[in-house]
Amino acid sequence: MMVLSLLKKDFLIVKKYVLIMLFVIVLIPPFMRWRTPEFTGVLGFILSVVFAVFMLLQYVSLKEYQFPKAAALLCAAPFSRKEMVLSKYLFCMAVYVICCIVFKIETLLIPGLGTADIKMFALMFLVTAVFIGLYLPVQYKLGYEKTKIAFMVIIMASPVILPLLLRMESFNLDFLSMISPWLISGGIVLIGAAFLAASAFLSMKIYDKADLA
Amino acid sequence: MNDILTVSGLNKSYGDFSLKDVTFSLPEGCITGFIGVNGAGKTTTLRTILGLTSRLSGNIQFFGLDFDKHERKIKNRIGIVLDDGCFYEELTLSEMKSILSSAYTSWSEQDFKRYMDLFSLDPKQKINMLSKGMRMKYALALALSHNAELLIMDEPTSGLDPLVRSQLLKTLIEYMKNGGKGVFFSTHITSDLEKAADMLIMIDNGRIVFQEEKDTLLDTYRIVKGDSQYLTEDVRKLFLSVSETEFGFTGITKQISEVRSYIPDVITERPSIEDIMLGNIGGAK
Repeated sequence: MMVLSLLKKDFLIVKKYVLIMLFVIVLIPPFMRWRTPEFTGVLGFILSVVFAVFMLLQYVSLKEYQFPKAAALLCAAPFSRKEMVLSKYLFCMAVYVICCIVFKIETLLIPGLGTADIKMFALMFLVTAVFIGLYLPVQYKLGYEKTKIAFMVIIMASPVILPLLLRMESFNLDFLSMISPWLISGGIVLIGAAFLAASAFLSMKIYDKADLA
Repeated sequence: MNDILTVSGLNKSYGDFSLKDVTFSLPEGCITGFIGVNGAGKTTTLRTILGLTSRLSGNIQFFGLDFDKHERKIKNRIGIVLDDGCFYEELTLSEMKSILSSAYTSWSEQDFKRYMDLFSLDPKQKINMLSKGMRMKYALALALSHNAELLIMDEPTSGLDPLVRSQLLKTLIEYMKNGGKGVFFSTHITSDLEKAADMLIMIDNGRIVFQEEKDTLLDTYRIVKGDSQYLTEDVRKLFLSVSETEFGFTGITKQISEVRSYIPDVITERPSIEDIMLGNIGGAK
């Protein structure tokens, strides 16, 4: 499938950073256990996913921004614009899956990291889907530079927002234990997938009308 | 001869610039040069017919197939060389090839290797380490390794030294001999076309000025030199452009018989493509 070639392209253009990122996502959960043991497990996983997906997506976007004619060449070849867009979503999901695998292995090897259950992965899938589901259409519409500035503002606001979130006593998922975990996870994944599909559709519409360099 | 590309009524607005009712066709078996000065609309036209930018109106057909309905099928049959810098430059030649080759159903690894050897390119080398000439050769190797029937190139010779330009033109001629159905390349270096082109299309300010066989074109136009005293209003109208000095005038015309009827002993010369191009975009009339 041609979209897989484009996925491979995204990994190739960030290959320099892939190993560093892998190192970082391996280190974040044990580091969290060491520094903030009360948030061991889920928060470490959330941070490693958000960090890896965001940073690698940023690197890919930077390279696309630096070499805009390369995308034009691919679109002049039989790659469709839809496949170009889809590959970006696939790329983010692939990074997410790698983070899941790494965390699962870590929970088996490092005691005290908690358990990596299906609910956690499903919830994190939803978080990732919402993040890239918002980020990518904005980037296709505004371009790399403007989107970077917009999201930098959000990141700069995070030191204020994060401590507030951490203080929230209701930051637990106990209520979910009343329902079948498979049902909850399935529902969450479906919502995330629907969000991604709607976002990808919007991005395709935007990119379809874009004038390529 | 069948037309391998037909463009009709193409209109596009692009900031201050616009393509106005661009209409032309490429006959099969020809190397066609697309000429015009910088900013005339060559690149915009090529990008629009390749679907890289949207168009307001117009119809584009490759090999008799409507571009909008058969985009992928058509792109599979054409080779593309865009101007400098159309790669992810931190990749190696081999990595970039592995991405592009997967898009073509009839990619030939054997042909690619042959062109890489011919152009002395190392697959392990990074693209950003290549000179402009080597980069163009690499782009050509990619474009010619999937049995493309039509080769479309945007300013392929721009900024290249004469040796590389000569190699590139030789490759194009060989490509046509080996079964290529057509080459369409834009350039403002018209001397390249004197050697290789069969057909010329000129664009200026977003409008097609002419489409003509090169030899017919060169036979039609003449450079005329003479004494300025003969330059009456009626004579002036026969020229596309005229420049005057204290020693006389030099003009370009495609009505040489009429000019001779006014000035029998006028001196005439066969023009170059550049003379014709410059004559058609005005000059000092």
